[in-house]
Amino acid sequence: MGKHHQNLLNNLEELRKKAGLTQQELSEAAEVSRKSINAIENGIYVPSTVLALKIAKTLSCKVEDIFKLP
Amino acid sequence: MTYFKRFLIVFICGIVQIFYALYLLLNQFGFDLSWHIDNHIFMFIPGILVFVGSGILTASYYLGNTKNSNILYDEYTALRYYKIAAAGYALNGIGIFVLFSIQDWANWSFQSANDMIYQVAAFAWLTFGILLTIFSAGDYKEYKNG
Repeated sequence: MGKHHQNLLNNLEELRKKAGLTQQELSEAAEVSRKSINAIENGIYVPSTVLALKIAKTLSCKVEDIFKLP
Repeated sequence: MTYFKRFLIVFICGIVQIFYALYLLLNQFGFDLSWHIDNHIFMFIPGILVFVGSGILTASYYLGNTKNSNILYDEYTALRYYKIAAAGYALNGIGIFVLFSIQDWANWSFQSANDMIYQVAAFAWLTFGILLTIFSAGDYKEYKNG
């Protein structure tokens, strides 16, 4: 986890809703707990590269579409 | 394995450790308890619970449904386990330093050594018991609402 992870912008919630998925459905597709998805959406937790790629694959987008540096 | 079963296993281990640790610490520091655990075999209970509990969790992780295990022990949960362990080791380090500092080394005896072993064991139980209890309750609460 980066020291300044609070500065990382993420569009996960927006992209997830656009894909018509609930947190539970996304978590099951990415094989993580629902609270992990919730923590990522709220900027509490920055996922590993593998998890970020799994989420991006599920949402059919690029990792850069979900996470952005300010 | 489910979140609730994991919560129960870890919470019971934590609560039992706290109970025994408080009992030992109160005895060691001279508080007069109106009752005593007479049979010392009972003092193995916290250790046995930890062995059995961790055995069940480990077996369910390796032998259970892989997808379920990946979800139950994902990286976010693992990070919290690491933080709990790090906090436990730090607190134990400080506690053991304090326990060493308060011993009467000038009048050292087998009884003092025996007492110190009890104090160290009780402090370690108390530290990890509290951390396990807080972690298990928080983990389950997050699963339900977080």
